[in-house]
Amino acid sequence: MADVGKTLRTPLRRVRYLGSARLGTDDNWRVHATAVALVPLTIAFVWLVLSLLHKDYNGVRAELSHPIPAIVLLLFVLAGLYHMQFGVRAIILDYAHGRAREWALVANAFFAVALGLACVYAVLRIGFV
Amino acid sequence: MASTESTSAPPPSRPLSPHLGVYRLTLTMAMSGAHRIAGMALAVGVLLLAWFLIATSMDASAFSVFSAFIQSIVGRLALFAFTWALFHHMLGGVRHLIWDAGYGLDDPEREQLTWATLIGGFALTLIVWAVGYAVR
Repeated sequence: MADVGKTLRTPLRRVRYLGSARLGTDDNWRVHATAVALVPLTIAFVWLVLSLLHKDYNGVRAELSHPIPAIVLLLFVLAGLYHMQFGVRAIILDYAHGRAREWALVANAFFAVALGLACVYAVLRIGFV
Repeated sequence: MASTESTSAPPPSRPLSPHLGVYRLTLTMAMSGAHRIAGMALAVGVLLLAWFLIATSMDASAFSVFSAFIQSIVGRLALFAFTWALFHHMLGGVRHLIWDAGYGLDDPEREQLTWATLIGGFALTLIVWAVGYAVR
């Protein structure tokens, strides 16, 4: 910031788009949209887990090979992890600062993407292999 | 605009805005914290779901490792905690959606709604576990 007096950029230009305006409402909308989706998906997911509870390996494979349980799982995992990533990020932004915050944000993004890819791959493999 | 030139100087100590410590703890405040804690618990618990799906996609021996864990005492406790966090966070989310729509913010409804989601989370957890043990 030592070059404040030497730059041709106005102070407004230097800070514009760095705040929460614009992006904040978009994130809020995505959190709410996934929250609405996750209410029926959570009920369907719990129903599915209850139906799997007393099944053995072959029974679980057979159940999850049907399209409806597989699609419920895919939607639940994708909506859940997308929603999760916003929530964990909000907690990181509240409590972590400086370099720790940057690493925590990267770890949060990696965690969500890696788990999402792993779960989707696993569900598809159960259905198709 | 003299104020823009102070960016390189260390910020002077200013009075901080009052934070959590100055307020009497209320139910809605405590439940705000519980909503976050349940959400973080779900972020950890999703590892269980990923383990289950990956093991099931592999073979019977990988599945049996997961199956043995989830049937152990630690596994059952983890699954019970996951169930509670799921329902608590779901009902807390519904409460926030109702509030965000502008309803239930006034004095009696606000507390009633919060008690309903708190009790409802435990009730749904117990019902689902009762069904899980009863139905075969």
